[in-house]
Amino acid sequence: MGRPVDLAIVGCGAVVETKYRVALARLESRGIARVAALVDPNPERLAALKRHFPSAKTFAAVGDAFAQVTPALTVVTSPPARHAEHTLAAIDAGSHVLCEKPMAVAVPDAERMVAAAQAKRRVLAIGMLRRLYPGLADARALLAAGALGDDVRFIYREGSVYNWPVTTDAPFRRVTAGGGVLMDFGSHVLDLLSALFGAPSVAAYEDDALADGVEANCRIGLAFPTANGTAQLSWTQPLATGLRVVGTHGELMLRPSTLEPLRWRRRGGSWEVGRHAATWPLDLETQGPRGAPRSDYDCFYFQLVQTLRAVAHGEPVPATGEQGLAIVRAIETCYRRATPLRLPWLTATEQAALDARHWSRQWAAA
Amino acid sequence: MGGGVAVLGAGGFVGARLLEMAVLSGRTDIVPVVRSFRSVARSAQLAVPHRLADTSSHESLLRALDGCDAVVNLTAGKPYEILPTTENIYRAARAAGARLLIHISSAAVFGEIDRPDLPDDAPPRLEQWWPYAREKGRAENLLRERMAGDGQVAIVVLRPSLVWGPSSQWVLGPASELVRGAAYLRGDGAGICNLMYVDDLVRSIDAVVAHGAAAPSGFFNVADDIVPNWREYYTALAEGLGIDPATIHSVPEDGYRPGLLERLEPLREHRAYAWLKERISLETRTHLKSRIALRGKGEPLPGAAARPVVTRTMWEVQATRYPLPTTKFRATFGTPNRVSFRSGIAASLAWLRFIGLVDREPDLHAARTGVLAAAREH
Repeated sequence: MGRPVDLAIVGCGAVVETKYRVALARLESRGIARVAALVDPNPERLAALKRHFPSAKTFAAVGDAFAQVTPALTVVTSPPARHAEHTLAAIDAGSHVLCEKPMAVAVPDAERMVAAAQAKRRVLAIGMLRRLYPGLADARALLAAGALGDDVRFIYREGSVYNWPVTTDAPFRRVTAGGGVLMDFGSHVLDLLSALFGAPSVAAYEDDALADGVEANCRIGLAFPTANGTAQLSWTQPLATGLRVVGTHGELMLRPSTLEPLRWRRRGGSWEVGRHAATWPLDLETQGPRGAPRSDYDCFYFQLVQTLRAVAHGEPVPATGEQGLAIVRAIETCYRRATPLRLPWLTATEQAALDARHWSRQWAAA
Repeated sequence: MGGGVAVLGAGGFVGARLLEMAVLSGRTDIVPVVRSFRSVARSAQLAVPHRLADTSSHESLLRALDGCDAVVNLTAGKPYEILPTTENIYRAARAAGARLLIHISSAAVFGEIDRPDLPDDAPPRLEQWWPYAREKGRAENLLRERMAGDGQVAIVVLRPSLVWGPSSQWVLGPASELVRGAAYLRGDGAGICNLMYVDDLVRSIDAVVAHGAAAPSGFFNVADDIVPNWREYYTALAEGLGIDPATIHSVPEDGYRPGLLERLEPLREHRAYAWLKERISLETRTHLKSRIALRGKGEPLPGAAARPVVTRTMWEVQATRYPLPTTKFRATFGTPNRVSFRSGIAASLAWLRFIGLVDREPDLHAARTGVLAAAREH
């Protein structure tokens, strides 16, 4: 095994503290990579992460970091509105990039990221963690084998009362987050559906945001090359979370927000549990050992390893910049088509007020 | 009163609905106060500036209540936090110059309603097993003392019963059990189901706020005008969900046996448990949870037979014999209730369809119909 690869972490907020940190520590302990630079304008967050990665240099700005450190891979975990700026800076410094979702909050930003990576021949991976889930691999295999038959339709729901330990209100303001629940885990959802059914096309979109607000609930009508259906997302409601896909020959159910196995059945048959056997490389060796993800922490680890393997061996990343761009485009289409969502707990007067003050009216007027 | 109305606990079930009703009716005087930024998500669509407050800090609360004439305490939290939080909020409201404090307690402080003429001023039962109800009772006693000696802040304690409607656990819990075939009634279900529809609770709060500093301090029960028994409640939900009410299990009066988890529940409510939990890394907790889920103890296969799991809370609440008397509130603040049982059920069922509970049945044809119906909406 060679010398550990240098990593830079740009943005030291909740996702790094609660998710990436464990995977990064595992990479260090196995001698695969080391965290060489931590970048964040907040000195408290820098200090908190520095305790876990004592050999890392800390920086308040990416410019200073890339002037002193030359990382092979930069993990961009800053607020979404700054992903493009930080990704472009990393690529300009010669680094490959793993950028957290959502890739960007505007299509031109995402296009610039993809173009820069292509021009500089750098790997640009997007943090679509669910591509690592064994249940997704099982679903893809079933669909590819035609096990569900034709006329495939789906319903996807994901929602619960928001509980992510954010440290600011930036995720709830359009100017900093670009949107609400759709921009948040909607990018995961659209990417997962794309992994199953192909490139997405937005047929309709409804949400509940008033002017100056961001959507806490939304519903999307989607058409894919091989399936049609709806996706419903919520930050406020305990939705019956899961993906249900139904075809002429069978159906499957998956809870993509967890690592639970897929369940499926042929028409008229009894339910079966998926194989749940997908594995990923544990290190950078070409014929090295593989492991099965058992938690989100494992998935973050495998995602980092697979991105480093893309850098070292040219292997595919779980989600490419081009795939991320397609999701950013779909989200932008949603917002351009936004209409008010009907919320059944509102009185008629309240629903009329929501309709009249819906953010799309302000946008249309502008 | 011309100042703002601070709503502490605005990220909770009742608080979020209160804020939503206020904003959509054009009100701008509500000042939502939450413990952490994550709670802002609950009302992110409304674009209302929130204030942050740590209810264990007097200074933090004082800043959050600045400029507010009225304070509504809808905070939840662990049982051991209820009493100190109530004291802190009272002190901060007073120091901030508020003239009215509305404290949302619970009819749970009485345990079962075992007499038809229970006075609103009756003392809470502190010997109850349920830590939440016990601590709510202790908080009431604290405010009772403060009422006696305070001429500056009017203290109105509202005691709702089971707050129901869209987003309520008292709708989602029974409906989920009905869908799984695990719903049950104690005996013949003749116990009184003391419901309080969430929108009408908000209207009750608004009615008190409208009185301002002239509101008389005291304790007031609040509930729906007409309440069903448990069998009627479950039957209404079942019929709306397309489920045969005959599938509801009847558990004999001596049928409750606490399970292991329930016997351990008091430990989970204890301060030491929270202390210990904070010291186990998130990774370790997640790992344990995922191991349990992957061993097949997660979500059961669709259509799997479900047996009722009788909980002590539900068992005892179904033993209620009388409606909660609410005449004192009506005589003092009027009759703000607008929602009948029937329309409350209709709204709750519409919400259950919205969250997707209803179309999760395993039947292929029904599932396809559900998918197509959802697609047609677009």
